[in-house]
This record gives sequence, C-alpha cells and structure tokens, in this order.
Amino acid sequence: MTYAASNYITVFDKWDDQKTFFCFTPEDAKRLSDFHPFAEKHVDEVVDGLYAHLLKFEEAQMFLDDAETLRRLKIAQRRYFLELTSGCYEEEYYENRIKVGVTHQRMGIPPRLYMGAYSYYLQLMIPLIYQYLGDDLEKANTTFSAMYKIINLDQELAMSAYIHAVEDVISKQTEEILEMSTPVIQVWEGVVATPIIGTLDSQRAQQFMEHLLEKIVESKSPIALIDITGVPQIDTATAQHLIDTINAVKLLGSKVIITGIRPAIAQTLVHLGINLQGIITKPSMSAGLKVALEMLAVGNTGFNKTN
Amino acid sequence: MTMDGKQQGELPIISESDIVACRKVIRTLSTNAGFGITDVTRIVTAVSELARNIYVHAECGKMRWNIMHQPGKIGIELIFEDNGQGIADIEQAMQPGFSTVKSMGMGLPGVKRLMDEMRIDSIAGAGSTVTIKKWARAR
Repeated sequence: MTYAASNYITVFDKWDDQKTFFCFTPEDAKRLSDFHPFAEKHVDEVVDGLYAHLLKFEEAQMFLDDAETLRRLKIAQRRYFLELTSGCYEEEYYENRIKVGVTHQRMGIPPRLYMGAYSYYLQLMIPLIYQYLGDDLEKANTTFSAMYKIINLDQELAMSAYIHAVEDVISKQTEEILEMSTPVIQVWEGVVATPIIGTLDSQRAQQFMEHLLEKIVESKSPIALIDITGVPQIDTATAQHLIDTINAVKLLGSKVIITGIRPAIAQTLVHLGINLQGIITKPSMSAGLKVALEMLAVGNTGFNKTN
Repeated sequence: MTMDGKQQGELPIISESDIVACRKVIRTLSTNAGFGITDVTRIVTAVSELARNIYVHAECGKMRWNIMHQPGKIGIELIFEDNGQGIADIEQAMQPGFSTVKSMGMGLPGVKRLMDEMRIDSIAGAGSTVTIKKWARAR
C-alpha cells in the first residue's frame, strides 16, 4: 500500500527537511563528533549498563534469552551508540535507523520496550556529557541538546518503520483475504458452487465474477450455484453486481441457481423492488444442488457439452 | 438501550470502507435497541443505500444516528448529510428506475419502503440531507 509508505516513512529525500524540522544543525553534528572520543572510551560501560537494566525485566528477558543473542546484541548496540556521535548523519545513518525499527518490529519487540530502553540510554548518557564537559556548562548544554535532537530523530525513524511494517502486514493480509474470499468449488460433475461471505463491494464483485466465469469454462460446468447464506444484507448495488454476474454466466451458456436466501433478505429485496424473475432461487444450498442434479439428469441445461 | 448507553453519534462517509463501518455500527445499534432480524436487515440495507449514495455522488458526508425513546416504542433516526451537488428533482429521484449514474435507480424509492419515515432536503449545489426513521415496540 503506497499510502502507508508515503505517510509513515520519512523518505530519504525528506531526511534533510526532517533534520531542519527537528532543528538539527551542522553545529549539532559537530558537537556530537567532538564528544565522540569520550563516548568511545565509555561505550562498554553504557552498553553493559543498558543490558543489566533490561535484564531486570521479565518482558525484556524473553528477547535476551541466551548468551549468544546477548553477545550479538551488545555488539550491535555498541555500533549503534558510536554512530550517534559519529558526526555523519547521511544516507547510511538514515538506513541503519530504519532497519532498527523494522528489526524490532519483526522480532515482536513492542515499541514501549524500545522507548523504555532508549530512555534509560539517555539517563546513562547525560551524566557522561556533564562529566566530560562540566567545566564548560554552555558547551555541555549544547552537546546535550544536540544529543537529544539526534535521539528524537532516531526514534521518529524507528517508530515510522514500526508503523509501516505493521501497515505492510495489514495490506498483505487484506490482499490474501480478498484472494481467498471467493472460492469456486466443483461439487459435482457439471456443477460448480461458490459461497459469498460478507460484503460484495465493487472490487470483490469484479474479482468474484472473473473467478466464477473462469472456473465455469475450465470445468465445463453447465450449472453454477451461488450461495449467499453468508451475505448479511443485499442493497441495490450488491444486487446489481449479482445480476451482472448471472447475465455473464448466461452468455457462457450456463445457468445460475442462487441459494441461501434468508427470509429477511427476501423481504428487503421485495421492498427494494429488485426483480429476480427468470433466476432460479432456493432457500438452501442442498435444495439448490438437488435442482441442479435434476436439471443435469434431464439434460435441461442448455449447455452444449461439445463446447 | 444501546450496549454502552450512548444515544447518538456520527460516522464519516468518505471511502467505500466507511459504508461497511456504517452498516456494522447500525446493525449492532438496532439489534441492541430491540429490532427483530427482519427490521435490522431493512435498516442496514437502507443505511447501505444512503451511505453508498454519498460515496458515489458526493465527495464526503456523514451519517448521524439517534436512538429515540417514546412511550411504548423505541426508534432509530438516521441522518445522512453530504456536500454534493444536491438532488435536482427529488420527485424524479424517487421514481423507480431513475438514475444519473447507470445504477438500478431503485435505491431511494426502496429506502422509503424499507423505513417508516423518510425525508429528503436538498439545496441545488449545496448538498443533501436524507433523514430516515424506523420504530419498534419498546421491550
């Protein structure tokens, strides 16, 4: 879904705008890179501190269950930490941050763990900044401000990637549902059946019609049963889609039997003034199948088998 | 009474999926209000027609709903408002088979038959308001 991508991910083209919006200036980048040597000296202390904190919580422990995972994560975290003060915040930085969000989402780490860990990260970092630049309070403050901004930018990217990944899952599932929502089954030699479940909106109606027509030709079936037991209501648009489908089936030389018309639906169809004359309708699938078999037996199908 | 006791609300109608949302909400509301399955189907079908009209004919609109209590009976009032072109000739629009978009043209006259009351207010160029009501004996 392009909607999701364009709405949630700060595309790289906009990354510079995003930095401007967060008031992250080249001076900020410079301040962070000045701090880099000190950060490098203390990186192990921060990373160890962070994981010692996380391991106190059962929810976080689940993701840090073995020594090997922990070792790998610490290496990644070390790199991550040093990148914060690298002074270079261009494409590679941007991509790594997006990857962090996607990886977290894929591992099933909830955003609150990510945010909570980041909050603790900052708590470990602030004393370091003041320890290093305590003599020059103004410089310490501006360095802290720069750190705060880059962390906010980081979090925005990671959260966007999270949301986008979830959107992606939803849109894939929607497609899958659409794909499997209109199965056409051959129930007997010469009879195909298709249950419609839910709503027949324009997109589904189109797909439904194509699918049914293909199956009728493929199986050389003179009779198609369309079961609407699973349709909660039929309005005029849905009825129109159904009638269009029935007419298209007729053009192939086959017949349609509509089954599963519930009393409430029958009454609304009458109120709406929808005319289903000339269409065979039955209250249940089994009644419809019986009629279909009778029609096949007497050869009253109008379908030329040599087609 | 509705499930959470809410007596009124509104829903936007902008995309086709909003039609589904309107139907779903009204199905729950009218079932909880005590309407029988046939009346619920009638009401939901009317909602589907009018919400689709907004989706097809206007850029956007909304559906407002009201649960009405009167001695011995309970009712549901649904108001569909849009910012579309308005309906040029209401009498013509109510004729079965009349359509400006090659659809069946059975929607508006059908809704009138499905519901107990129906009123259309329309100003050319300034949108339409369709109000429908259905009553049931109070439980």
